[in-house]
Amino acid sequence: MAANSPIKGQVYFTKNGSISFFSKTILQNIQADNNEVISILNLQTGALQFSLLNTAFHFPKAKMEEDFNENYMESDKYPRSTFKGSIANIDKIDFSKDGTWQANVTGDLMIHGVTKNITTSGKIIIKDGKISAAASFKILLEDYHIKIPSIVSNKISENIEINIDCNYEKK
Amino acid sequence: MSRKVKRYILLLLIIIITIIALIGYQVWNKPHQDIKNAVAAKTNAIELYNSLSNDSANTKAFFINKIVAVSGEVKQVSKNQQNQQVILLKTNIADGSVNCTMEENIKNVKAGDMVLLKGICIGYIGGDNDMQLPGDVFLVRCYPSD
Repeated sequence: MAANSPIKGQVYFTKNGSISFFSKTILQNIQADNNEVISILNLQTGALQFSLLNTAFHFPKAKMEEDFNENYMESDKYPRSTFKGSIANIDKIDFSKDGTWQANVTGDLMIHGVTKNITTSGKIIIKDGKISAAASFKILLEDYHIKIPSIVSNKISENIEINIDCNYEKK
Repeated sequence: MSRKVKRYILLLLIIIITIIALIGYQVWNKPHQDIKNAVAAKTNAIELYNSLSNDSANTKAFFINKIVAVSGEVKQVSKNQQNQQVILLKTNIADGSVNCTMEENIKNVKAGDMVLLKGICIGYIGGDNDMQLPGDVFLVRCYPSD
C-alpha cells in the first residue's frame, strides 16, 4: 500500500461537492449547479451521505432560480435535500490502488420533504491517493410531489437528470 | 363594423400583445441580484457561525437568503469543480467554517489574511455528530468588500 493511500476505517468528506441537474425540453434546457454540498464517506462501513441547501442551486437566469425555490421546491418550507445510504460493495473497492471502481449505492433520498429509497450506481475514482465520486441518475418529479403548473408543463421535463461530482479529503 | 374600426381594433390588439411580450421577455431575462453594489448586513465569521449553527429562528430570519458582509481570518483557499475560488473563514469551532464561494476571485489571498467578504448567506448545513464533523455556514456569489 502506498504511503499516501487511503486507509480503511477513515472518514473522508467534502464541504464543496458539486451536484447539478439537467432537464432537456423542447423549448429550452434547464441546468443548475450547487457547489456547496456536504458529503461524508466512511471507507470502512461504506456509509455515504450528501446534504445541500436548495437555495444554493445557481441557474443561468434569475427568474428560473426564483421559480425553482418559490414554486417547485418551496425552499422556505423544505430548505434541505439529503441522501443517507451506503455503498453496498465497499469491500470490493481497493482504496490502495489508483483506478475507477463501480459503486452500488442504495439509500434514502429526501427532496421536497419526501423520502424515497433509491438504488443507483456510481463511480469511485482513486488517483494519487485522492478519492472522488461521480454518479448520474434520473428522478421523477412526481415521486417527490413536485408539481409543475400546467401553463409551463411543456417547458419542464418530468424526468430530471442529477449529476454528482465530489472530491473528498481525509478528516 | 366599419373597416376603419376593425383596423383600429387590430392595431390595438397588436400593441397590447407586443407590450405583454416585452414585459414577459424582461421578467424572464431579469438579471441576477447585484451583490457587488448591494447594501449588506455586517457581521463577523465567529458570530455568524455561532448564530446559525445554533438554529435560532431570529438570527435565521436576519441572515438567511440576505446579503451579508462577513469579516474574518482566512483558514483555507481552494478551488471547487467549477474552478471558482472557495475561501474558508475561521470560526471558534475547529472544523467548522464560514464557507464562501467567490464570484470574483481575490488575488494573492492566503491563510492568515483578514478579509471582508460580501455574498448571499444561504444558511448552515450540519455535518455528522457520530463522525465528529461539524457543518459549515455557506455564502455564495461572494465579492471582496471594502
